[in-house]
Amino acid sequence: MSATSNRIRRPLLDRLLPVWAVLVFAFLFAPIIVIVVYSFNTGRLLSSFTSFGIESFLALFEKPVLLDAVMVSLRTGAIAAVLATVLGTLAGIALARRTGKWTAWFVGLLVLVSVTPEIVDAISLLPWLVFLGQDLGLSLFNDGTVRLVVGHSLFSVAVVSYIVRARLVGLPANLEEASADLYAPPLRTFRKITLPLAMPAVLAGLLLSFTFSLDNTIVSSFVQVSGATPWPVYVLSALRGGLRPEIAAVSTIMLLLTLAALAVVALVLRRAGDSSTEIARTIAGG
Amino acid sequence: MRNLRLPGFALAIPAWVWLAVFFIAPVGVVFWYSFGYKPGLFGTHANDKLSLDRYLEVLTPTFFDTFVATMWIALAGTALCLVIGGPVAYWMAVKSPPAWRGLLLALVLVPFWTNFLVRTIGWQVILAPEGWASQAAQAIGLPAFDILYTRAAVLLGVVYNYLPLMILPLYVAFDRVGEPLREASRDLGANRLRTFWRVTLPLARPGIIVGVLLVYIPLMGDYITATVLGGAKGNMVGQMVAAQFQTAQNWALGSAMAVTLILVIVLSAGVVGALLWLVSWPMRRANRLVLGEVGS
Repeated sequence: MSATSNRIRRPLLDRLLPVWAVLVFAFLFAPIIVIVVYSFNTGRLLSSFTSFGIESFLALFEKPVLLDAVMVSLRTGAIAAVLATVLGTLAGIALARRTGKWTAWFVGLLVLVSVTPEIVDAISLLPWLVFLGQDLGLSLFNDGTVRLVVGHSLFSVAVVSYIVRARLVGLPANLEEASADLYAPPLRTFRKITLPLAMPAVLAGLLLSFTFSLDNTIVSSFVQVSGATPWPVYVLSALRGGLRPEIAAVSTIMLLLTLAALAVVALVLRRAGDSSTEIARTIAGG
Repeated sequence: MRNLRLPGFALAIPAWVWLAVFFIAPVGVVFWYSFGYKPGLFGTHANDKLSLDRYLEVLTPTFFDTFVATMWIALAGTALCLVIGGPVAYWMAVKSPPAWRGLLLALVLVPFWTNFLVRTIGWQVILAPEGWASQAAQAIGLPAFDILYTRAAVLLGVVYNYLPLMILPLYVAFDRVGEPLREASRDLGANRLRTFWRVTLPLARPGIIVGVLLVYIPLMGDYITATVLGGAKGNMVGQMVAAQFQTAQNWALGSAMAVTLILVIVLSAGVVGALLWLVSWPMRRANRLVLGEVGS
């Protein structure tokens, strides 16, 4: 070792840190590996492994409920992510580029949205959606997908706004000014300069919103209508009747899909010239 | 060119309207409900007489004990996340080979992007007293696991579920300090410990605060982890609020609990943030370090 410095404990600490990191990574992956392994369980109950087989994956084709729940989740996730990204990106750009007296109020609202726990969103949205749909007769709000999208979008709008704002605040407005000086109309400056500058943050926001939506359990279980049950709510209800291996099978497939999506985004971000740290920074919203 | 002069906040209007209709209005209604009462067996709420009685009810031991218990779980969970995740984030940002860092970040992200309910169920399988992990432990002479459906299991579950949310901002914070500053500190004769305490840690403080809040706030409202791993012993405020709306049908009381929960979160997050700030205060006085363009 090249530990020629002034301290004896330097090599010891340097060796302990990676060991700790390996342990923590093992901790992070333990249940995921368990789920992947148990998805090949042929037994009736997920938690008691009987023998190895792919029956649980075949159940996907036999039980339309499973696939329906996943499809509801994917559809809701896509719509909620696009919606939250559009709203959040516009708001984030305004926050970064058009600061004014309104900024503090708006940031205050976003902070309030992000500190409000999911359960509070859930219990307040349920009566509100019923009021909109039944008392006001806006039948749109009786639709299962619409309800889920509304519920999933709130937190994501705030997060996307933060991320896009953080990205643009770090970049000077010179280019936009130059574009305006060269007589580009505002819309073209927006499309050709501002949006491309914000793009890595927009993509990170899109991905985050999609995942938040896929994960959302509490709001979903309140606002869902029968016939449009999303995947996590299905899992939650299956939990009460004893979990079967097919739930792990679906989770394994979804894990693979999420990994693929993550790889694509990382690739796009890297193409856009961001280092790995920048990517993490964007995703973490710092 | 600029024939349509929009006000500066024009681009924020769609988001503002959306949040006004689907956040401010419904939460406002809940706030209003919280001053009402439950009229009889079949009503859920009534507001013809306004009072603070529901809040007094929330403050009775039956309900308030759950608030205190939830706060303990959340505080302990956040502290454990900081203690467990801190060294990992430090290693990743400072000590690990730079070429690995992208991969390591992706590894931290993978559990973060896996459905959180499914991850929690993974732990249920691992911790089951008759499961393989327990049998393996017995095979080497350890006692069988009996932590499932206890507070310890809940704590393990929340630490697990929120750990990536702590590691990520801490990594960014430690990374932002940058090698040149640490090198400068060593060149000026500081040993490693001194460099860590007087340069790295003070500069990483904002990231530490972000990480603590990112873990603490959602943890206070979470109850799924506690339901899956804690069973009857994992009673959290979220569960209590849900029960008032779903089973007890007492919307007035549930609303008062919800409002109290937001207040408790805002207040305790403020206190935790202030404490962290205070703890590092003497440190900052000793060495005022102003970072120039780092973090731009």
